[in-house]
Amino acid sequence: MRLWIELVVSGLITGGIYALVAMGLNLQYGLMRILNVSHGEFLMLGAYLTYWAYLVMHLSPFVFLPPLLVGLFVVGLVVHRLCFRRLAETTPEVEAFEARSLLVGFGLMFVVQNVALLVWGADLRGYQYLAGTVSIAGVGFTANRLVAFAAALVLGLGLIAVLRATLLGRAVRAMMQSPTGALLVGIDVRRLHPAVFGVGLALAGAAGALLSMVFEISPSMGEPYTVTALIVIALGGFGSVTGSLLGGLLLGVVEAIGMHLTSPSLKMVLSYGVFMLVLITRPNGLFVR
Amino acid sequence: MMRVLAIALVAALVLVGASLDTSAQSDAPPIKIGYAISRTGPFAPGAQATQEPSYILWAEQVNAAGGLNVKGQKRKIELVSYDDRSEVETIVRTFEKLMVTDKVDLILPPWGSTANFAVAPLADKHGYPVLAPTALSMKLVDMKLPNFFSMLPQPYVLMAAAADMLAANGVKTVAVIYMDDVFGLENIAAFEPAVKAKGIEIVDKKSYPLGIKDLSPVLRAIKDKNPDAFVGLTYPPDTILASKQSKEIGFNPKVFFTAVGTAFPLYKQVMGADSDGVSGIGSWSVKTSPAAKAYFDAHVKRFQKEPDRWASAHCWAGLQILQAAIEKVGMDRKAIREYIASNEHATIIGPVRFKGSEIQFPGTVGQWVGGDFEVVWPANRATAKLVVPKPAWK
Repeated sequence: MRLWIELVVSGLITGGIYALVAMGLNLQYGLMRILNVSHGEFLMLGAYLTYWAYLVMHLSPFVFLPPLLVGLFVVGLVVHRLCFRRLAETTPEVEAFEARSLLVGFGLMFVVQNVALLVWGADLRGYQYLAGTVSIAGVGFTANRLVAFAAALVLGLGLIAVLRATLLGRAVRAMMQSPTGALLVGIDVRRLHPAVFGVGLALAGAAGALLSMVFEISPSMGEPYTVTALIVIALGGFGSVTGSLLGGLLLGVVEAIGMHLTSPSLKMVLSYGVFMLVLITRPNGLFVR
Repeated sequence: MMRVLAIALVAALVLVGASLDTSAQSDAPPIKIGYAISRTGPFAPGAQATQEPSYILWAEQVNAAGGLNVKGQKRKIELVSYDDRSEVETIVRTFEKLMVTDKVDLILPPWGSTANFAVAPLADKHGYPVLAPTALSMKLVDMKLPNFFSMLPQPYVLMAAAADMLAANGVKTVAVIYMDDVFGLENIAAFEPAVKAKGIEIVDKKSYPLGIKDLSPVLRAIKDKNPDAFVGLTYPPDTILASKQSKEIGFNPKVFFTAVGTAFPLYKQVMGADSDGVSGIGSWSVKTSPAAKAYFDAHVKRFQKEPDRWASAHCWAGLQILQAAIEKVGMDRKAIREYIASNEHATIIGPVRFKGSEIQFPGTVGQWVGGDFEVVWPANRATAKLVVPKPAWK
């Protein structure tokens, strides 16, 4: 029994990060059809900035989190202005826009990753933060993993609350459900799109900041998370932010238990197995009504 | 939409990279030395900690001294280098280009067992001698390629030393995890007979893939079996992951041994006082020799980071051998190969010679002792005393 609790909690911790990354990406995709494959690179950027703030200014990752969120939000506005706004204006068909945004995403991936390489080099880097062990019901966990999970959950639930309860959130959801309808009732797309893109990047950056407390960071750390985020999005349903949260947690738990029962070498098989199973049985996602 | 998603998934697996060229200027024609190494991708942290800095430092030191003395003419070194993006196809293609199209004078090896396994036969075919500082593979040695020289003792030597150390310290049971690539597979294949010969029982054995983010499910199962020793045939990120998560679950065996990365300065940086008593593969420290100390200091001065306490020095030793060969016999690759194969060489890791592809160098074990990574086994190479049992995680 103890082992199962350990496995599930361990899976939830990993899944919390998956969820946070996927929510940001899903927001961008669900609202604007931007398939931003460079999402993981902004996660990496968040991780490096947090590392750097800790190293140079001795700032706790949590103190640095608010300025980081604002910073990446602004980066998001700029990236949207430079890359995606023009693309959206010149490409009215959704299918073509998706494909082109994918290419732009790849371009961004090269640029951001290589900028990080130039600035920080390819070395693994890391720092010690809350590295002590906390015991919960007799099961030990590193403090930084627990707080990272808690923070991921707070950010994720916070985002859902904003989307559900505020006028801004309603506008965003309206855009997701019916872009044309939303335009007709007077929702300002030119202001909403960049803002939501920025929020997506800020969430990626937050995930990176949390990850940097737990794992070592390198310029190539982001890509696996982009891939995982795409799987989570498919699990939870396109455009469903709540679905991404649940999907991320689910994937984390499936991986942890699956790795215990089989072998860690089969981790990718497990992730893609779940992915294919969902695509075959519930192609619109597990949590879409 | 599904199609776009599929493209995205496939394409996201493609790694990103850039290539940089560093070149030197000189009056006499420079010696062109080419290599591809990982600056991006999963191999990059290892390659950048252990290998490429030494290449650059070497070329800079040689050029600062006016170049290499080739048949009475001072010739500078021009490094022609590319990022291999940690992709085997790119590695092979780039080396092919260096040797066939660019026609460089000499090549330097890529990082890691997998990459060297791919490049060595190719280099041999084109007659380029290679002194590989990061290749652990008996399969590669068994190919008996005349132009391939391994600067590291092979897995059976390393694992025999580890098994010796375990047995001498009363270890009866061991749990082992290994990465499922050439490095892990070759080492587990050497480790199993080595510990069995010493009467040590393997109570758990699990493989895991590159890029793993959570080893705690495996470690918790191992903890329940309560082995005397834990051995991780791991790469840098998983070395740290296994250490952190063992601490997390309170798994503190008598001997805690992890492979690549334990000897990296990063290990102490992220593990802090917890690094104390952790064993791993290591073969030298600044106390090994004044020359080793000089190399260490030059490395720190140039890159503001320490070399690792294992293959970095072997890499430097390989460059020393290459330099001696060039200055002795000139630029003829066949003559260089003969010189390397048939002489004893003075290096910072001591005098070495080759038997076939294999360096004649004992297996060694290192350990974090008093804040530094020291050689602790065998006794005649030790720079510090082995600490067993490992102190508790702080």
